[in-house]
This record gives sequence, structure tokens and C-alpha cells, in this order.
Amino acid sequence: MHFTMKDEILKRFLNANGEPISGQALADELQVSRTAIWKHLQTLKQEGYEFDTVKKRGYKLVTVPDKVDMGQLQQFLKTKRYGRQVHYFESVESTQLVAHELVREGGPDGTVIIAEHQTAGRGRMMREWESSEGKGIWMTIIIRPEIAPHQAPQFTLVTAVAVVNAMKAMFKNFTPEIKWPNDILVNGKKTTGILTEMVAEADRIQALLIGIGINVNQQMDDFPEPLQSIATSIAIEEGEPIERVHLVANVLDFLEHYSDMYVKNGFGFIKTLWEDSSGTIGKRVKATTLREVVEGEAISITENGVLQIRQANGEVKGIYSADIEIL
Amino acid sequence: MFKVQEIREIIKLVDASSIDEFVYEADGAKVKLKKKNGVTEVVAPKKVEEAPVAQVAAPAPTAVASIPAPAPKVETPAPVENAADLHKITSPMVGTFYQSPNPEAAPYVKVGDKVGDESIVCIVEAMKLFNEIEAEIKGEIVEILVQDGQLVEYGQPLFLVKAE
Repeated sequence: MHFTMKDEILKRFLNANGEPISGQALADELQVSRTAIWKHLQTLKQEGYEFDTVKKRGYKLVTVPDKVDMGQLQQFLKTKRYGRQVHYFESVESTQLVAHELVREGGPDGTVIIAEHQTAGRGRMMREWESSEGKGIWMTIIIRPEIAPHQAPQFTLVTAVAVVNAMKAMFKNFTPEIKWPNDILVNGKKTTGILTEMVAEADRIQALLIGIGINVNQQMDDFPEPLQSIATSIAIEEGEPIERVHLVANVLDFLEHYSDMYVKNGFGFIKTLWEDSSGTIGKRVKATTLREVVEGEAISITENGVLQIRQANGEVKGIYSADIEIL
Repeated sequence: MFKVQEIREIIKLVDASSIDEFVYEADGAKVKLKKKNGVTEVVAPKKVEEAPVAQVAAPAPTAVASIPAPAPKVETPAPVENAADLHKITSPMVGTFYQSPNPEAAPYVKVGDKVGDESIVCIVEAMKLFNEIEAEIKGEIVEILVQDGQLVEYGQPLFLVKAE
């Protein structure tokens, strides 16, 4: 990762948990003049960062900008393909809809659609997904993997493994867990939803459209009241504002790595990584499908990622599609 | 010599690893494992035998025994069409069949509807991967072979279409 002096300064403020940092200390640590530090802070202010001056103690970061900087994204990315073509929008109906158009137009493997705001973000079964402006990461990644269509569902677990490990690499104050198949929860509350659509012919995948919604900088009162008991954001759990572009870059880095690994080596290793971060296995769960409700202990996932629930009568049921509630 | 149990264990470990090729020699015995094309073979779900049209009244068999079989339909299918004339739209993967985008919405297609190549006829979902199935043929929906919310197998016929 290539960091400029400005990024180095920003990193220290982001890591300071809202505590003030003195200009002199920064200048000493980075071996530049105080004037240089001041100039970089002016640039950061122009980009939307806001600092308070704390008497005799220095500057305190109080606001991070409400835009994901695409130039910075290219600097931070370590990927070959993912995120190298980005379509950025202030506001769209949904990034998935844009992705469908780009798939038809031949958008390459790794194309990313990212929006500050979605007017019609959707979850499973067309449920509304709250995607407030500038607070979260709302994006779709178009991938074109060389696998058979019947292997595609495992990709939703690959995505969960990538997002959860990107978070673990960046954040130290909380432990994210995967709820089958691919929600990311922190202390039982949802931070991330992933929904994947496939465009395929009978025997060939044209594209997978991986939609990822991450609650990043929301505070509790940013969520509509009915969501407050079930949703959370990374900023709430980590205790400080997060620069979204770093998280976007990290998610894409991990996703390209694990996707390639899955295509090359199969699901075995991904399964192990999924189990390492699972907040589902060993728990009592309730799975609600269109036709029935299955309650019992989540005992494992199969070699294909199917959730196995042992019911009270001892019968084990394989779950392919359901809303899972951890009891 | 190796015990079967030992070989089984080695296969499991290699399978779960990123190793493409594995050779182990001890006491004159040798085991060599190689992954096909460097890809761990994912056991492809077996293609379901396609039921002849005459048996359409019986529920399509599902390989997962734990899923309750749908209630058999009471009406007998009109035996007017010859099976050979009808095109089958099959499921590309194991998953749940949905006839509409959400439980409140109208179904994508009904019996008697005309469809084109790119008409969406249903969704098959597994593990939050949603697959909108296109007809890939021009014609008329003659029969819907599965029920909303039913688990369907890889290759299982979902619709019969009278091609135009």
C-alpha cells in the first residue's frame, strides 16, 4: 500500500480515537516541519475532514468526509482486477440495477459500482435495505468466475469470509461473526448484508453480482427506530469514525484473494475460514423458509456450504434458503 | 502398506488444502494424489431423472429426503401434448424455487402465458445467491412442475413449454 504524507497524518488522527494530537508531535514523528503538517491539514479540510483546535494540546479530528475518494481507493488497492474499474455515484436506485446494465454491456471481472446513497436498496425477498447517505458502503462487485453455475452459491460464503477478515485486519475493538450464510454481525447485531445475483446460461456463468452493504459511520439515531435493536455500525462498535475508502480497499483485496482461491482450490479451505468466524455453528437457531420453520442446533455446514440443523427429535435437516434467527 | 483409513485421512487433508499434488512414500509403499485441473472436484449433484409427462401429477422427486414432498396435485394433466414436443426449463442448481420476486408479488408466469428467450420465469435461490431463470425459448407455458418454495435439484425440470 502506498501512503502519502497526508495519508500518514490522517491515519494517526483516525487511530487517535478522537483524542487531540499536537502539531509538533506529528512534525517530529514524521520528520517534517510544522508548516508542512499545517498545509496537509488544510488539504484534508478541503476534502471534508473537520478538526477542532484544542488549546495547548493540538488538533482533534471530529468529522470524516461523506464521500469515498476514488483517487485514494486506487492508491490503497493491492488487487489486480477487483476495483480497478469503478463506477461511482452520488445517488442511484440500487447498485445491483446498475451492475445488471454493466454486465449486459460487458463490464470486466472485478468492476465495482459504489454509491453514497441508494434510493431503493434491496435485501432478500426485495426487502428494503436502509442505505443512508455517506454513512455506509453500498457497492456491487461484478465477477466472472470460471466455475459451473451449480458451484456459485458457495460464493456467498466466500464473500462473507472476505468481508469478515477485512474487518478483523482493520478493527481491534470488536469481533465480527458470520451468521449463515453471509450476514456479518457484531454482538448479535447486523453490520453487513450481502446479496448475490447470478446471470447465467444453463451451463455457464456470465457474471455474479455481489451486493455488499456495510453500516460504517452511522450513529444509533441514524437508524430508523425499528432497526435500532437489530442493527449496528462499525463506528459504534469500534468507538471512532472510520474512513470508508480504507475498508472498501481491504474488502476488495480480501475478496479477490479468496475468490481466486475458491476457483483454484475449491471450497474446503474457505469452509475452514468460514467456520473460524462463524457465529452460527453450535448455537440454537430458528430457520424460517417459505414453507416451514426449522428449529434446533446448528451443527455444521456441509462441503457445499449447506447449513445442518439438528432438531429436537434428532433429525438433521439441510437448509439451503432461510432467514436464520439465533436463539 | 497404508491402511485405507490413513489414505482416506490424507485425501481429506489434501482436499481441504491448497496443495495440487501430493506424493508420500514410506516403507516401499507410495501414495500419489493429484487434483484434477488443480481444482478440488466438487461433487456435482446428480441430475434428476426427468419424469415423463404422463407422470406429471406425481410430485417431482427431491433428493433431500428431509424436505416434505409437496401435496400431490388433484387434477390430472390434460394429456393433449406429446412429451417430445415440449421443451423443459430445468434448474441450473440446487436451491429453492420461487415463482415470484417476493411472497406478496404476482408470479412471474402462469400456465398459458407466452414467454420469449429472455422472459424471467422464476427465481432459484441457495445461500442468498439469487438466480433469475430465463425461458431461453419462445413459446407458451404448458405446465409448472414444482411448487413455490420447494427445494429443487440440479437439472430438475421446472416448466414445460410448448415451443413456437
